[in-house]
Amino acid sequence: MTILTRANFALPGTSLNYHTGTWRVQKPQHAHASAPCHGVCPAGEDAQAYLAALEEGHPEQAWRILVSANPLPATTGRVCHHPCESACNRGQYDQPIAIHLVERWLGDEAIRHNWAYPVERPKADAPRMAVVGAGPAGLANAYHLLRLGYRVDLFDQLPEAGGTLRTALPPYRLPREVLDAEVQRLLACGIDFHPNKKLGRDLDLDQMRLDYQAVFVAPGLQQGKEWSIDGVVPSDLHSGLDMLRDWISLGVVPKVRSAAVIGGGNTAVDLARILKRAGAAEVHLITHQSLPGDGHPLDVMSAIPREIAQAEEEGVTIHANRGVRRLILRGERVVGIEMVRMKKIDRGAGRPERVAFEGTETVLHVDQIIPAIGQALDADGMHALLGRAAHFHADTWGVSPLEGVFVGGDAREKSGGSVTAAVGDGRRAALAMHRHARGEANPEKEPMAQIIGIESLNLHYYEHAPRPDEPMLPAEQRRGDEEIELGISAEAVRGEAHRCLSCGNCLACDNCWTLCPDSAVLKTREFASDGSHYVFDYDYCKGCGLCAHECPCGYIQMAEDL
Amino acid sequence: MTTETHIDIAELRKKQPRFNAIDSGHRACLGCGQALGARLVGEAVGPDIIVANATGCLEIFTTPWPESAWRVPWMHSLFENAGAIASGIEAAMRAQGKSTKVVAMGGDGSTFDIGFQALSGMLEREHNVLYVCYDNEAYMNTGVQRSSSTPHAAMTNTSPPGKARMGKRHLKKDIVQIIAAHHTPYAATASVAYPSDLRKKIRRAMEIEGPTFIQIHAPCPLGWGHEGHESIEVERLAVQTGLFPLVELERGELTGVMPIRQQVPVTEYLKRQQRFRHLFAKGDSRAAEELEHIQALADHNIEVYGLRGEGVDRFDTEGSDTVHRGGQRWA
Repeated sequence: MTILTRANFALPGTSLNYHTGTWRVQKPQHAHASAPCHGVCPAGEDAQAYLAALEEGHPEQAWRILVSANPLPATTGRVCHHPCESACNRGQYDQPIAIHLVERWLGDEAIRHNWAYPVERPKADAPRMAVVGAGPAGLANAYHLLRLGYRVDLFDQLPEAGGTLRTALPPYRLPREVLDAEVQRLLACGIDFHPNKKLGRDLDLDQMRLDYQAVFVAPGLQQGKEWSIDGVVPSDLHSGLDMLRDWISLGVVPKVRSAAVIGGGNTAVDLARILKRAGAAEVHLITHQSLPGDGHPLDVMSAIPREIAQAEEEGVTIHANRGVRRLILRGERVVGIEMVRMKKIDRGAGRPERVAFEGTETVLHVDQIIPAIGQALDADGMHALLGRAAHFHADTWGVSPLEGVFVGGDAREKSGGSVTAAVGDGRRAALAMHRHARGEANPEKEPMAQIIGIESLNLHYYEHAPRPDEPMLPAEQRRGDEEIELGISAEAVRGEAHRCLSCGNCLACDNCWTLCPDSAVLKTREFASDGSHYVFDYDYCKGCGLCAHECPCGYIQMAEDL
Repeated sequence: MTTETHIDIAELRKKQPRFNAIDSGHRACLGCGQALGARLVGEAVGPDIIVANATGCLEIFTTPWPESAWRVPWMHSLFENAGAIASGIEAAMRAQGKSTKVVAMGGDGSTFDIGFQALSGMLEREHNVLYVCYDNEAYMNTGVQRSSSTPHAAMTNTSPPGKARMGKRHLKKDIVQIIAAHHTPYAATASVAYPSDLRKKIRRAMEIEGPTFIQIHAPCPLGWGHEGHESIEVERLAVQTGLFPLVELERGELTGVMPIRQQVPVTEYLKRQQRFRHLFAKGDSRAAEELEHIQALADHNIEVYGLRGEGVDRFDTEGSDTVHRGGQRWA
C-alpha cells in the first residue's frame, strides 16, 4: 500500500524509484577540449583558462595560470605576433579576443603589485642544471627548472640578462623598465645568474656536462647574415643587426639622407623605423616577400603585421615583391639600386618558385643600402653540438645529439623564430631535462586535448560585442623610445574576459541544468571533479542529447551507451 | 583529466538551488518540451501551490500509478474540467483563509477544445487561478490527432496530406486573444526556448490577484517529427520566424512583446519537422503555395503585434537567452 507522507510527495511512490536511465542508448559526458588559442600558442599558454579566472574576478590567479607556462607575459604581451588571436574562434563570429592585451595587462599588474611567481626556492642539496644564454628561451628554461625543484646556473655573455629582448628589440616596442622589472623579478626567484660568461671562452660544454645534471644551450642568433649582389658589396656597408643594436644600446646610428633596408623581417622593419627616428628623410624597405594578406601565404613578410603598419604610418616606404637586381655605384659608393618586381608563383614544379618579371626594373636613388636579411648562429664553443650545420637540429623537446645537452630558442632550426617560440622551447626542454634526470623517456608530442573548432560551439547563446581599440601614440609623436602601443584599461580587460567563448571548457552557464527536461543534470560546486559545476545523474538521464546540443562551449559530447 | 570522486547523487539532488515541482523519473519522451516547460513553471511558482491537472501527456507521464513525480499537491480529474476543478479548489482555499495559489495545467487539447468552456467560466467568475497551457499543437498523448491549436498545413493522423488537402485545412486558434477578450488581467505567451522570459511571465502572473493565463509553446519530438536533442533549436525557430509570437496582454491590451532581432524564413522552422515534410515535395505547386501562406501568416503576426525589433535589444530573440559565466540569467 502506498504510504503518503505529510510532506510534499508520496515517499515510497515517488517517481524517483523509477530509473529512466535504463531507456538510454547514448549518454552525455563532459569532454574537455583545447581552445584554439591554447592549441596554437608557441609558449603553451592556455589563454582560455586565464580569461576564465579573470572573468571570475581573480586577476592574480589568472596571472598564475599564465606564468605556469610563460614567465614573461609583460614582455610577450608586447612583442608576440599573437597567433592565438588569428586562431581565436571568436574571430569567425565577430572579432577575436585581444589576448595579447590581456596578457600584457596581467604581466604589468604582476609587476605593479609584485605578485610572487608560483615557485619555491630550491633545496640546498637539489641537483644542479646549467642554462647557457639568458634570452627568452634560457630564462623560461631556468624558471621551469626551478619550478621542478632544481638549482639553476644561468650564464650569458653579456652583462645583463634578456638576450635578444635587450639587444635587438627597440624600446618603443618593449620599454626597458618593463623588461628590467620582469627579468629582475624572475631572476630573484632563485636563479643563479652569471653574466659575462661565453661558451668557448669562459665555459666549456664538455666540462659542464660533467658538472651538471643537464645543460640547456640557447645562444640565439647573434650575427648578421652576409650579403652581396653578385659579389658586389658597397665599401661603407653596415649590417642592419649591428645598427639596430647600436641604436638600442648607444642611441646612435650613422646619419643618412636616404636609405634602402633590405629584408622583410622584424629586424628590417625596426631598422627602417629607427633610421626614420634618426632623421633620414627617405627610408625604403625592400623585400621580395609580400605584404601580409597579399600573395602566396608561404611568402609573406615575417615581420609582425601591426609593426609593418606602424612603420608605414611613420613614413617608411615599403616596396614588397621587389628584389635588388644591381647596385648603382659611383666609385665604391652606392648612389642607387635597380629593383625588379618578383613574386613566388606556382609553375607546376611542385613548389612555388620566385620569378622576376622582365621589364619591371626601376631605379631608386639612395645613398645607403643596409641588409637585414636574417641572422646566423655564432658557433664558438658549440662545434661538437653543431657539426657542419648552421642551426641546431633537435625535436621540440630540444634533445641534442650530445647526451645531457638540450637546445632551443632561435638557434634551433624549427623553433619558429619568435620570443614566444623561444619561451616554449625553454619550457619543453626543462620538462625533457627533468625526465632525463629521472631516466624517463619523452613522449613523442606534448599531450594536448583536441582543439575545438567553431562548428562545435552553439553560437546562439553569445552576443556580439566589439573588441576594444588599443590607444596608440600618434605617428608624429614617435621620435624616440616612447612606447607606441599603450595597452587597454582594466575595465576593457574584464570586457575581453567576458567576451571569451570558453571554447571546449565549461562556462558554468547553467544551460544544461536549465534545459534538461528530466532534471538529470545536477548543479554542484564541491563535487564536480572535471572542472565543470555540473554532474549527470545517469539514473534518470534518458540520453536525449539536448544538453550536448545546447551547450554553448562544446563541452558536452554524446557517447554510445547501450 | 578526470579523477574519480564519490558523489552522493541522491543527497546532491536534495540540495539543488531551485525548486523542482516535478522530479526525475517521469516518463516523458526524450527531449520533451512539455516536461521542460512544467519544470520551468515549477521553478517560478514555488512550493506553495496546488495543481489542477487536466488529462493529457503531463498528467500521464508524471503519475504512472502508484508513483508520482509531483512534489506539490496535485489533482487530476478529467479532460474537460481543469478550469472547474481549479475554481473549486480556489474557492475552498479562500473559504479557509489560505493564500495557497491554485495553478491549473493542461495541454492544447484540453485548453483550446475540450476544457474551453470550464476555462472560460473560470475566467468569467474571476477566480484567483493561474492557468498554464502547454501548447504542442495536437493531441499527442492519444497518438497525434489534430486539435484547434494544430497549425495550418501540419500533418497529424487526422489531418493527413493527400489529394484533397495539404495537412490541416484550418488555422491555429488564437487562444491568447480569446482569453484576453475575457478582460483577463494578464494573458501571455511564452516559449521553452526562452527560459528566463518564461519564468518572468510566470512570476508576473503569480503576483496578480485574479485569473491569469500563460500559453507555453512546447515542442513535441514525437508529434512534430524531429530528434529529441533538437527541441530547443526548433522551438527557438518558432519564435524567430514569427510563427509563435511572444506577447503579453493585460485587460485585452497588448503590453509587451519579445522583439525579433533577425526574422528567419519559415522554411527554416518547417523543414526541421516531419509534420511539414509534404510542404517540401518536389513538383507539387500546392506545397509552394502553402509555404507562401505560412510565411504570410508569420509576417502577419509580426505586423499586428509589431514584433520587428529596432536594432539590438537585451530582451529580444537573440539577447534573451544569452549566457554568462556563472549562470546569471536575468530571470
